[in-house]
Amino acid sequence: MKKEFICIVCPRGCHVSVDDEMNITGNQCPRGKTYVENELIAPTRILTTTVRTSFEDQPRISCKTDKPIPKELIFEAMKIINHIMIDKDISIGDIIIENILDTNVNIIATKPSRKKE
Amino acid sequence: MYDFIIIGAGVIGSSVARELSKYQAKTLCLEKENDVANVQSLANSAIIHAGHNPEPGSLKAVLSVLGNKLYDTWEKELSIPLLRTGAFVAAHNEKEEIIIENLLKTTIENMVPEYEVLTGDEAREIEPNLAKSITKVLSLPTTKVTYPWEVAFACMENAINNGVEFQKNKQVTSIKKVNGFFEIEVNKEEIYQTKYVINAAGVASDDIGQMIEEPPFKIKPRKGEYFVLDRRVKGFVNHVLYPLPSEKGKGVLVTPQVHGNILLGPSSEFIDDKFEASTTDEGLKYIKEHSVELAENIPFNMIIRSFAGIRSTSTCDDFYIKESKTNKGFYYLGGIESPGLTAAPAIGPYLVNEIIGVGNEFELKSDFNPRREPRLEFHRLPWRKQQALLDEDHLYGRIICKCEKITEKEIIDAIHGPLGSHSIKGIKKRVRAGAGLCQGGYCEEKIMKIIARELNISPLDVEYDDPQSKIFKEETKVDE
Amino acid sequence: MMKDVIVIGGGAGGLAAAIETHQSRKDVLLIERETFLGGILNQCIHNGFGLEVFKEEYTGPEYADQFIETFLEEKIDYLLDTTVIGLRKENDVFFVKTSSEKDGIRFFQAKAVVVSTGSYERTRGQISIPGDRPYGVITAGSAQRYLNIDGLLIGKKVFVLGSGDIGLIMARRMKLEGAEVLGVAEIMPHSNGLTRNIVQCLNDFDIPLYLSHTVTEIIGDDENRLSKIKVSKVDESFKPIEGTEKEFEVDTLLLSIGLIPDVTLLDELKVEIDSRTKSVKVNQAYETNIEGLFVCGNALQVHDLVDNVTLESKRAGQAVNRYLDKGKADVHQSIYLNPGNNLGYVTPQRIDMDIIQDYITLSFRSNKKMEKAICKVFQNEDIIFEKKLVFVLPAEMETIKLPFEKINEVGDIRVELEVRS
Repeated sequence: MKKEFICIVCPRGCHVSVDDEMNITGNQCPRGKTYVENELIAPTRILTTTVRTSFEDQPRISCKTDKPIPKELIFEAMKIINHIMIDKDISIGDIIIENILDTNVNIIATKPSRKKE
Repeated sequence: MYDFIIIGAGVIGSSVARELSKYQAKTLCLEKENDVANVQSLANSAIIHAGHNPEPGSLKAVLSVLGNKLYDTWEKELSIPLLRTGAFVAAHNEKEEIIIENLLKTTIENMVPEYEVLTGDEAREIEPNLAKSITKVLSLPTTKVTYPWEVAFACMENAINNGVEFQKNKQVTSIKKVNGFFEIEVNKEEIYQTKYVINAAGVASDDIGQMIEEPPFKIKPRKGEYFVLDRRVKGFVNHVLYPLPSEKGKGVLVTPQVHGNILLGPSSEFIDDKFEASTTDEGLKYIKEHSVELAENIPFNMIIRSFAGIRSTSTCDDFYIKESKTNKGFYYLGGIESPGLTAAPAIGPYLVNEIIGVGNEFELKSDFNPRREPRLEFHRLPWRKQQALLDEDHLYGRIICKCEKITEKEIIDAIHGPLGSHSIKGIKKRVRAGAGLCQGGYCEEKIMKIIARELNISPLDVEYDDPQSKIFKEETKVDE
Repeated sequence: MMKDVIVIGGGAGGLAAAIETHQSRKDVLLIERETFLGGILNQCIHNGFGLEVFKEEYTGPEYADQFIETFLEEKIDYLLDTTVIGLRKENDVFFVKTSSEKDGIRFFQAKAVVVSTGSYERTRGQISIPGDRPYGVITAGSAQRYLNIDGLLIGKKVFVLGSGDIGLIMARRMKLEGAEVLGVAEIMPHSNGLTRNIVQCLNDFDIPLYLSHTVTEIIGDDENRLSKIKVSKVDESFKPIEGTEKEFEVDTLLLSIGLIPDVTLLDELKVEIDSRTKSVKVNQAYETNIEGLFVCGNALQVHDLVDNVTLESKRAGQAVNRYLDKGKADVHQSIYLNPGNNLGYVTPQRIDMDIIQDYITLSFRSNKKMEKAICKVFQNEDIIFEKKLVFVLPAEMETIKLPFEKINEVGDIRVELEVRS
């Protein structure tokens, strides 16, 4: 059975197919082959989301994974992030969760907590 | 035991409430919606017609010409906004010009105080954007435009101030005549008792009548769709523009509004579901096709919204304002379609004095206060008044609705008070926040937060309109 | 109290313009209506910002923070929670009227004004989708603000109209936060968003994309909440094709149907408007026909990359500095620019030849998708400049640098795009 991918490495957006024997066709350059191979074997994504805080005037602070994590762990990672409650001041880049799901990837803040005027 | 229960708080029910509040009679007004003016009175052209086309001698004719005049008094007493636009009824050819002549006869017979026939060119001197194909117009200078929600609010606030009780979210589910008074069941659980019932239930007035008898008419609801142009088109036309009337009604009009917007419409079609007020592709197309017969260069690119309104056309040709023939003490206000808004100031006194004769049984209140203070529109006030208000309350300084320049204090005032609203839609009806170019894109979130804060509720409990229509489904991450 | 320049709007555009002018020692005041700086970037918590300006990929708030930090370090004068409610020009002075809870109504004067007020989203009312008017029909940006800033979910069964990036991003966001996303409809036969977003927002989550489809009816329930939508396929003239109607049970319809530059502040001034960009006409210095009035960022033209907003607003700031130093010109020798074949619009709409620079940045959008294209700049029907481009899309604004020396003193300019083999 064929699997279809759209390569996102460059704006060309080649439609690349892979058959059961792992033959890759449709890419117009070698980067496309590498991209599809990664997508097949170990697709990863950067996750960007928000985390709860106890601050009344800033109920959510945005965050991200500081490196891509395996695509299949996204929803599980969301569950863990959703349990967090930030209750002290935080700066951009501060680690909110260290080594999430044993991936060696951290969840870091992408927004600072608002300073009280 | 009440003396009077009014069913329905649209413009008509509110006008009756205000009239009744002059008397020492215990009066309650029940409204099934979450707000005053939420069905017919919610969505219409807002025009106070001159009285040029109803059948002479009919209630529609007599009460609309009288109502038109009484709006001058209402403007002063109740602080109702009025735009004195005047109107042109347009003819495009000789055949139509003959109809204009007939319309003129009706106008005169109905004792409309001012009228004039102008040539198309003369009319275009006054209204440069009038369609070039128009050859003759009937000019009706007493035509005005108002703000129908404000009319209902003003009447009801004044009525409440003078002792009338008002309850919303109360739907009448059955009525029984018992030993000389009426038992009104509300929401299938509460019972109210009253000597007299005034049925001002608009499109549902036949259903309400059906609860105790075979009603003397049936409502055949009609729907009318409209386009709203942003207030930046102000001045495109200054008169209400009418085509010639037909059996469908007054036709697709071009109507300037109090705040500068222009309405195009309505279309007109009979509908089955009385409360179904959806817009349709065909209806909106119809409006575009016909409005160009009245004006050139209509700025369709300035459309910010479309809506549909319902009219309670009935099997009677005229307003039905009478006591029930079978059940004494039960009064109908039926088929109050156009010119209902126009006739409203006259309908209240007509029902109360001529049909019921309230004065025969009840004394007038010596302390009746006819005045209702105007709703404050901060950015329409003169500079000095703005400064004084800012000294009183800094919240006049924070602009919430950027498009219409509505301040936080105005919104807070719209939430509280005897006729305050807790819903996003209710706030919009009262102070226009969210009614501008971006349609709430900038301000809805801020209004939501103000409502939550003022009522000390969670944002999850903020309503859009109906108490069941909460804006948010849930707060994220909370149940994890 | 006369300022050199007042910058209206503290998002990406305003911050860049204010920093640029302040660094040239101009007396600047920035006025922002929200209680925070950074504008729309605060709610754009996804990645993809800064690749051009910083050669690094940032999320929206991180990108904004770069400029906010510089802005605050420079100690530039600014007002928050303050709305500009009037803008007038008398003789050579601008009068800016503001309103705030803290200071009431105030008037400021300035020699120059930069309007960087961003854009607002096109609404359902503007495209007249027929049907009921229930709650639950909301622009993607509004839903984004509720979700990312307030932590509130509008609904749990979502459909998106419009495949622009904001719609795609929100499809993913809603899905991640627990909603069901039933599909995205796009009226054009091709998607409007970046391929990366199609893959990572739709394909990753099995959200179907319905090209050449649009929402044809909106249906509410008895409580006036959205309950159903009807979606139909459309033909080449975008008319619904009979018999193709599908019904979706949803409680939320997100609208991602376009942005409109917000120049409502200029109502009181007689500015020239370009009906194609829906904003003001400017010269290469981002100056309108009113001297000293500059417009940049999304308020001038809708951008896809915030990097371009920063670069454009920096250029506008430089132009303000030049204006303040040299004063107004006695007479402009102006050349007008128009879009030609395959171009939706071009900015600037005017080149004033007395304002000499090395090159002029032209910004435009193609009407068609072109894998290989050539941009031709004609003046008096002669080609004065050409540039090869690749992967040109209506969804992506292009910029080219036109060398000033190539421009003749007289003759209008036409900018065109052609497919190249």
